[in-house]
Amino acid sequence: MSTYVYGIVSASHPALPEDLSGVGDPPREIRVLKAGELAAIVSDAPESLRPKRRDLLAHQNVLAEVGAAGCVLPMRFGNAAPDDDAVVAVLDERAEHYGERLRELDGKVEYNVKGSHVEEAVLRRVMSENAELRSLAEANRKAGGGSYDDKIRLGELVAAAVQAREAEDAAAVVRALEPAAAAVSEGPQSTGWLVNASFLVVRDRAERFLAAVEQAREDLPHLELRVNGPLPPYSFVELGPAEPAGTATGADAGAE
Amino acid sequence: MTVVPAQTSGGGGGSSGLYDVLELVLDRGLVIDAFVRVSLVGIEILKIDVRVVVASVDTYLRFAEACNRLDLEAGPRKSPGLPEIVGEVTESGARGKSKGALSGAAQTVSEAFKEAREEHASESESRPKARRAGSARRREERE
Repeated sequence: MSTYVYGIVSASHPALPEDLSGVGDPPREIRVLKAGELAAIVSDAPESLRPKRRDLLAHQNVLAEVGAAGCVLPMRFGNAAPDDDAVVAVLDERAEHYGERLRELDGKVEYNVKGSHVEEAVLRRVMSENAELRSLAEANRKAGGGSYDDKIRLGELVAAAVQAREAEDAAAVVRALEPAAAAVSEGPQSTGWLVNASFLVVRDRAERFLAAVEQAREDLPHLELRVNGPLPPYSFVELGPAEPAGTATGADAGAE
Repeated sequence: MTVVPAQTSGGGGGSSGLYDVLELVLDRGLVIDAFVRVSLVGIEILKIDVRVVVASVDTYLRFAEACNRLDLEAGPRKSPGLPEIVGEVTESGARGKSKGALSGAAQTVSEAFKEAREEHASESESRPKARRAGSARRREERE
């Protein structure tokens, strides 16, 4: 029977709620494996685990509960060890590293921010910034909408201007929120959002971070910002100190 | 941290908040190389570059139409109450009246992602089809 691993905590982590249910159908029972100063939150692994919604949610819910009681190093979905002994062996072998990560992340939570453009607002914005676009649009309007080629020409230029704004707005969002966070980790791009960044926030200062988000929403009204948190620090478990914000976000926008 | 953290999710509905979190569960977090990871076949669809949606003739035409109708005298984020703009956006297939091509693209990928997962759930061998967003949503709602 292989062992599914949810996360790593300190051995002194408070006891978990009894009704916590793990992955699988029926949900597997959550257990704690202690190894020196560390402990792993585990359950039996279902025979054929696949990334179904229910199991992804179970993984996240277990980590949310565990994280509510103290710091946890969350595993990515789907890690299974051959057996309990193999989990304990890994904890023993890497005790120093995991101990350091737990101390570093103690009292901190992750907030993930994804942003996308509000179409009408961003069109309005690029038009107001670009005289060529305005005159093309005006010419089309006077011509009763313009020919097919006129429309394509205008639309292509507008699309390019919108895409240019994506990079600028991504940088602007990170710049606006980074001062309220301990670290920033930029997630994969190009998947339906123009900015996807996670912020490591001291739990006791979460209100300050959320206030910064509200301010950014006001300052960047052509963006829709979605915030999820507090979360276990998924984006901050692997690395040492995260890179400074804005290093990977391209063009410098100038806070408008 | 005891609730599924949609509580601070701004704007979007519950399902988009869920999707945003599951992306982290699947893509980040600790990986131990000594362990086996479950197969995530079908999840690569997350990585599809939806910006190709922006760079299409269809989008060009729609942007051009939208710009023609844009009232530049109005404020920076006039709520989408302009009847002709609402008509335009709705007509072009975006789902919500307040959503345009860009968030619509996000929605499509989000739903393709759900669909990929559901195909796992249903043990289907067929490949996920990113554009069957409507049926994916309906099935999602039945769950």
